[in-house]
Amino acid sequence: MSDTQKLDPALLELLVCPVSHGPLSYDEKAGELVSKEAGLAYPVRDGIPIMLAEEARKLEA
Amino acid sequence: MQSNVPQIFDRARLRRNRARRAAGLGDYDFLLRRAAHDLAGRIALQNRTFDTALCLGASGRILHRALSQQGGDRIGRLIEADMTPALVSAGGLVLDEESLPLKPQSLDLVISLWGMHHVNDLPGAFLQIRRALKPDGLFLAALPGGATLTALRAAFLAIEAEILGGAHPHIHPFADLQDLAGLMQRAGFALPVADSDVVNVRYQNPYRLLDDLRGMGEANVLTARPRHFLRRDVLAAALAQFAAQTQEDGKAVADFEICYLAGWAPHESQTHAHEEGQPFTRFDESALPDKQG
Repeated sequence: MSDTQKLDPALLELLVCPVSHGPLSYDEKAGELVSKEAGLAYPVRDGIPIMLAEEARKLEA
Repeated sequence: MQSNVPQIFDRARLRRNRARRAAGLGDYDFLLRRAAHDLAGRIALQNRTFDTALCLGASGRILHRALSQQGGDRIGRLIEADMTPALVSAGGLVLDEESLPLKPQSLDLVISLWGMHHVNDLPGAFLQIRRALKPDGLFLAALPGGATLTALRAAFLAIEAEILGGAHPHIHPFADLQDLAGLMQRAGFALPVADSDVVNVRYQNPYRLLDDLRGMGEANVLTARPRHFLRRDVLAAALAQFAAQTQEDGKAVADFEICYLAGWAPHESQTHAHEEGQPFTRFDESALPDKQG
């Protein structure tokens, strides 16, 4: 993954899960922002987080 | 998204429209540029700086460009957000204004550029924005208001009633300025200010107005929109009536009311009047297209 595809830590600092409003953890390898509370993983594409529930991957329980 | 709020607007469809129209938006963004210019002027007048600002409705860096002319020096970092990645550049984010993914009290300035008129739960969205602001943070919005496209709406209603015996919703309902100001207050914004600016756009060919609306990504996203194609004779008659009733020098005139809202997240020291009532720099009228097509 190139640097340009990485999520800006300063941006991550502002974000919460739009569904649970709980914290997010950044899985850099998978390129996802994980909301444990909502059980959703939001994709980060080209460094841009896609904070939409419809686009998120449901985590296995 | 709150399921207890009536879903007047189909947000998924809006997102698809915006994505589909993203590449060509630059040919149809004259209202957005005007609103962005005005918002930048209001930011330039502030007697403070904003470390972290978020623009809802990035629309391909329109506000960013307006801020490079004025107001940019008031902002430390501008984060641009939109419903579709097609309109967001590096460093931005994709979100839905109905479910903001923002930490409470994390932003100094939130700007909504032409997005709040498609939100189903406007009081809820305003409240979410207020909570995302730091105390004494500023919210600015530009959106179309109730005096927008009134003649076109009336023409559709009259012609459909006449030819089809009943009307379908073609033009979105827009909130009135007074209602918007009330909602700002209800959401807990301090020192709310609302004003508006009516823009007349002249069309030699009124069909071009419909092209412009689609080009701006403003195609019908009402949940109750008709699912069948609009009959060609109905459309022609409605546009003819619209043109006849609004014409000036042989051109149909479409009105767009741009409402501007401003409000501050409450802060105990907020007795100082933020630059209210000052004359704003006006947009250069000559930059508005005179539609010849």
